[in-house]
Amino acid sequence: MDFAFSTEHRALRRLIREFAENEVEPLAAEIDREGRVPFETLGKLGQIGLLGVCFPQEYGGMGAGEIGYCILMEELGRVCTSTATTVGAHIGIGAMSIYLDGNEEQKRKYLTPLARGEKIGAFVLTEANAGSDAAAIRTRAVREGDSYILDGTKTFNTNGSFADIVTVLAVTDPTLGARGGITAFIVESDMPGFQVGTHENKMGIRGSSTAELIFEEVRVPQENVLGNVGEGFVSFMKTLDLGRLTLGAACLGGAQAALDWSVRWARTRRQFGEELAHKQSVQWMIADMATQVEALRSLVYRVAWMVDTGQPFTQMAAMCKLYGSEVASRAIDVALQIHGGLGLSRDFLIERFFRDARIAEIFEGTNEIQRIVIANNIFRRHGVRIRP
Amino acid sequence: MDFTLSEEQEMFLAMFRDFSAKEVAPNAEELDHAEQPPLGVLRKAAQQGFLGATLPEQYFGAELDYVSYCLLVETLAQDSLSVAVTLVTHVSLVAMSILARGTDAQREEWLPPMAAGEMMGAFALTEPDAGSDVAALQTRSTLPHPLPAREGGLPSPPDGGLEGGAAALNGVKTWVTNGEIAGLFLVFAQGPEGVDAFLVPADAPGLSVGYREPTLGLRSVTFNTVYLEGCRISEANRLGEPGTGLTIAQRAQDRTAVALAAAGLGVAEASIDAAAQFAAERVQFGVPIAQKQAIQGYVAEAVTELEALRYLVYRAAWLVDQGQGAPFDFSVVKAHGARVAYGVTNRMLQVLGGYGYMEDYPLARRYRDARVLSIIGGPTELQQVRIAQKVFAEWDVEIVP
Amino acid sequence: MKIVVILGRVLDPAGIVVNRRRGRIFVNREEYVMQPADACALEAALQIKDGSDAEVIALPRGLLPDDDDVLRQALSVGADRAVNFVGRIGNPPYGDGVMARVLAAAIERLGETDLILTGATTLDTGQGQLGPRLAGVLGWPQVVDAWAVRVAGDHVETVCHIPPPLRGGLGGGNPYTILEVDLSAVVTVHPGALKLRYPDGARLINVYRDEKAVEAWVVTDLVSEEALQPLLEKRGRDFPPERERSVRLEGAPQEVVQVLASELRKRVG
Repeated sequence: MDFAFSTEHRALRRLIREFAENEVEPLAAEIDREGRVPFETLGKLGQIGLLGVCFPQEYGGMGAGEIGYCILMEELGRVCTSTATTVGAHIGIGAMSIYLDGNEEQKRKYLTPLARGEKIGAFVLTEANAGSDAAAIRTRAVREGDSYILDGTKTFNTNGSFADIVTVLAVTDPTLGARGGITAFIVESDMPGFQVGTHENKMGIRGSSTAELIFEEVRVPQENVLGNVGEGFVSFMKTLDLGRLTLGAACLGGAQAALDWSVRWARTRRQFGEELAHKQSVQWMIADMATQVEALRSLVYRVAWMVDTGQPFTQMAAMCKLYGSEVASRAIDVALQIHGGLGLSRDFLIERFFRDARIAEIFEGTNEIQRIVIANNIFRRHGVRIRP
Repeated sequence: MDFTLSEEQEMFLAMFRDFSAKEVAPNAEELDHAEQPPLGVLRKAAQQGFLGATLPEQYFGAELDYVSYCLLVETLAQDSLSVAVTLVTHVSLVAMSILARGTDAQREEWLPPMAAGEMMGAFALTEPDAGSDVAALQTRSTLPHPLPAREGGLPSPPDGGLEGGAAALNGVKTWVTNGEIAGLFLVFAQGPEGVDAFLVPADAPGLSVGYREPTLGLRSVTFNTVYLEGCRISEANRLGEPGTGLTIAQRAQDRTAVALAAAGLGVAEASIDAAAQFAAERVQFGVPIAQKQAIQGYVAEAVTELEALRYLVYRAAWLVDQGQGAPFDFSVVKAHGARVAYGVTNRMLQVLGGYGYMEDYPLARRYRDARVLSIIGGPTELQQVRIAQKVFAEWDVEIVP
Repeated sequence: MKIVVILGRVLDPAGIVVNRRRGRIFVNREEYVMQPADACALEAALQIKDGSDAEVIALPRGLLPDDDDVLRQALSVGADRAVNFVGRIGNPPYGDGVMARVLAAAIERLGETDLILTGATTLDTGQGQLGPRLAGVLGWPQVVDAWAVRVAGDHVETVCHIPPPLRGGLGGGNPYTILEVDLSAVVTVHPGALKLRYPDGARLINVYRDEKAVEAWVVTDLVSEEALQPLLEKRGRDFPPERERSVRLEGAPQEVVQVLASELRKRVG
């Protein structure tokens, strides 16, 4: 077992860390305050090729694999959760769905500009009555000649309000359920009928866009069916699994930041005649935080390696998301407590990380769903099938 | 032991609920987003006598017992933790300190306008280098301690021998709750021998209210930096005996701890109600999510913690009414109240899923507000030290923070 | 056009903590970064290369046969070739005098080099010797501490900062002047003058995956063993005598003045 990162991944991490500190971190407070997406950052990431970090170079990507993608998410998550969320939605579910399920034509036409950062992607699934129960979506896709007409409303979508290329799941056969009745489509945002609805007012990740998307009889050519008709939902599960791993990596970055800032505060802040670092309660907090961060780090990169070496990873990826989100929430909560009043102040970054971290236990599949996935994978091997 | 509320307390509770539903609930969310203090609510609350809740009738107070007062705080907190904290600071920290330690003249001067809502109270203790370590405060008072009266001799000089020079407060206070809306500040400063407490009106020359801290939660409460630059004071401003400032501050924070825990109870309660309603209505996988065992588990655990906290709070309130209650009791109730408030709002936010994260739904604000409780009014870590001090004192071990 | 850039590494100052109270330096993180001034020189070279068919070749500032990371960084941001020196004789580190000889030999082997760029000073030692020494060995003209570099035909134009004491003479009070020098020349670049561009990500991955990306030349193929002998020999340390501590006079001004006057009379004699 070799636990060392390869030289190219170490060089990649150094590049991303420098970028994160010079380009992403300076904007983090501002984009949260103003509730805007940092398009300038996306442009710069695109120029370097980071928006295609895990895709093969033949499709305009960097070829750094899933490990490279986890490094990107970790280093971005360390300075700005909003930016990590926007980038993750673009690479991990938007572009990734096309990479996993697209034919050559679709990859050349859509994946390459996404990987090069020339266009931005999103994945559109959730609806008002279909959150955790994603298969309950109602957006219809009706066959008409050599196209499909898409009609319906999607909610809580990341990036959809400004993306160029979105992958949408819609119902092609209402009589069948998740298996056989749902199809994935590639929609270009300038196709007539595609509209952006309400923008959500969120507690955190306010530097990322969450909006309602309206499909009003959008005509989509049949060449844009992604994968096979009726198999969209099942195929999407693969994309979703990968997204869980990289969300775990972003959580790792956030937890590491919480730890670093806590250590810095504890070694400088003096009360009762000495630095907080001398208080045993603080030492315990730091020790526990550091232990959890290390455990998460090992988990995330091991699963990334499993992906890169072609091993099954569904259960492990769900664990990355579940454990990662809980470690990050716990770490930033403790960090806030260590910082006392300063932790509550919006003039400092701790409370922003606190608000931002909370969403990780909810989106990309709530932690309740993750537990169902994990339990299901465990029991299925023994012949017991769990219904959600 | 009788665990029931008296008929009078039941009546008060109904009145409080009515008031909160009419006056607090409608604007709570908007005031939070605009970060505006709830001045309209405070005016209406004053009309009901709530701003002098525990003060005697002679000062135009409502003479509520502390249990009833905590019922009021709990009820208000269900709709707005900001309103509850604003009220608690005014009543428990400031007004009741004046009631307990003030001269007759001071009580006559300050308590009626405070009860009428014409003058809000603010508590100025914390400083940049004196957070948990209150004794390290550096604001200075040059007011000498009065010389003791001499038997049969000349009377002591009224100004303590200042010979025409004035005494002043100099220093900076941070995180002053109610800073921007206060008419009266209770300020703690290092005197010649120990810490003194002073009542300083907001318009006193040399006192200026500065920067308002933008916060994670309690966004309708104003937390300000207050500057004291040659702020003139005399004996009339001193509250209580010279050198007893830290004791006054501690007693104030102890009785406030009970009220803050009652507020925590309120915000947790409202979160459970909101989550239960959501779980009953939200259908996923063909059934309301209330039918899912994990959701049931979250709600059941929250309710259990809530009930345990309820009796802890009201027993502590009863101790206040009896004139009993050791620091240990107040620390236990504060630490637990903050923990339950945050734990419950956090779990109930999870029940709402994505909707829990949206500011338009009732959980996000309550979650942000509840988080503040484990830091203001004495952080949990400090409360734990005090609890440990009591436990180990019985074994003759002295614990120093 | 052929441009050679000479790059070195230094401990990342961000990983170093100075504790004044204890009078100690703690190295928290032993990581190396490119010398900041050398990074500026590299950016200057790449800007000259942008849009032309110039070739940029990276050479190392010191002898580190096992570490070619800085050279790989240069390739990642767009250098065309990188060469590391391998093999070791005698006692490293070799010092700028020796390195100047090695580099001069390497440049002759490369042939037809028009411009050599390197950083004006190093972050750790604060020295600026390498560029001038190299120019001396090669017999080429040199410009040190340039803020901007531009190639125009057969000469190079550099913008240089004039230190305040010299401003009266050159350029009539201007803080900057333009110095022109015929190619082939050595130019050293001021640290902070330019910001090194980000690498192309795919290029970075490929460079680090390719074991052979950096060429390796054996030092003793370039120079003789004598040439590798250090130019300086350290014989010892000598310090000036410790000064007597000063005396602090206290008291009312009238008294202090009396004491001060008598002490001064004593010392002047």
